[in-house]
Amino acid sequence: MAGYRRPYRPSEARQQKGQTAPQEPNLVPIMNLFITIIPFLMLMITIQVSLLALNFASDSTGSGGGDGPGGGNQDKIVEIHLMIKQHDDAGLFPGMEVREPDAEIHKLPWLNENVYDYTRLNDLLAQLKEKYSDTTEIAVIVHPDVIYDTLVRTIDLCKTNGFVTVHYRNPKAVYFY
Amino acid sequence: MSSNSQFSRKQKGGRQVRRKVEDVKNLSITSLLDVLTIILVFLIKNVSMEAVKISELPDMRYPTTISTDKLLENATVTPIKLYLNEVILGVENLTLGTPQQLVEDGETRAALQNFLTLDFAAIPEEKKSDACLIVQADANLPCGYITQIVSAGTSVGYENIYFATLEDVDWLRTYSSASVR
Repeated sequence: MAGYRRPYRPSEARQQKGQTAPQEPNLVPIMNLFITIIPFLMLMITIQVSLLALNFASDSTGSGGGDGPGGGNQDKIVEIHLMIKQHDDAGLFPGMEVREPDAEIHKLPWLNENVYDYTRLNDLLAQLKEKYSDTTEIAVIVHPDVIYDTLVRTIDLCKTNGFVTVHYRNPKAVYFY
Repeated sequence: MSSNSQFSRKQKGGRQVRRKVEDVKNLSITSLLDVLTIILVFLIKNVSMEAVKISELPDMRYPTTISTDKLLENATVTPIKLYLNEVILGVENLTLGTPQQLVEDGETRAALQNFLTLDFAAIPEEKKSDACLIVQADANLPCGYITQIVSAGTSVGYENIYFATLEDVDWLRTYSSASVR
């Protein structure tokens, strides 16, 4: 058997005894560091809220009385009135009223109790933005009983339709229901 | 004999031979380290130093919005939290009273005005124009209370007032479909 080759065997070198298995790095200090940092970071992590800005920099805001907060700039801009009570003599009704400067008034009454017609408001604001494309200002006039959620949604729709500078005003007249 | 039977036994010549003790294998913590590294990176990315000021409060129902505005960079922030039954001022979380007291009680309004005046006065002059008032209010609160806060803030000199909301790009669609039903 000329072609027969012996299989390789483990080395028989004598130095085998002195060789040691490769050691794993000691990860314990790193683990300690991680375990210290992670609870600290978990305490600091939070679900961030979004923010909706009202800017009063250009407004001549007074004491907060009278015309209300951010009432300042009295240029003729589109106004959205948010109402909740029915009062025929005062022209109030539950819903929204969009007033164009020197032009028509769009009435958007409630769909149901406390259900405002935001879809129509959104469409109307898109039309108004095309009509008044040179302005980014709009005023939201809110009655005290209107829920905060309604105010924020209305401001949100104004901003998404390009009216990014929103003035927040009180009604000029004080109503005693 | 029984005590060292595990480790040694006498051979013929009386010489004791120790048995080899098997090496205890180390627990491999490499995979755990990998997991911790991933968590660490995630946490570092999401951590915010402003957390105290504009974090989501667990017991408050926020209004939802499509649009969001960024807080001014390096702005000095004064948060005001309006719960349905409590008003809390500043990062120190000072209790002012109830929202009703804001409207009905002159002393409460004066205390609010005083707090905001002191807080605004403490801001360095060059940073006053960037001072922000953040209103974190419950979605079900009547706007009359919000108006009181905004009035007091603007009268003191805050030019930037933010309403804290939660982002929901689909609220209009979901609201419309809910209102049709």
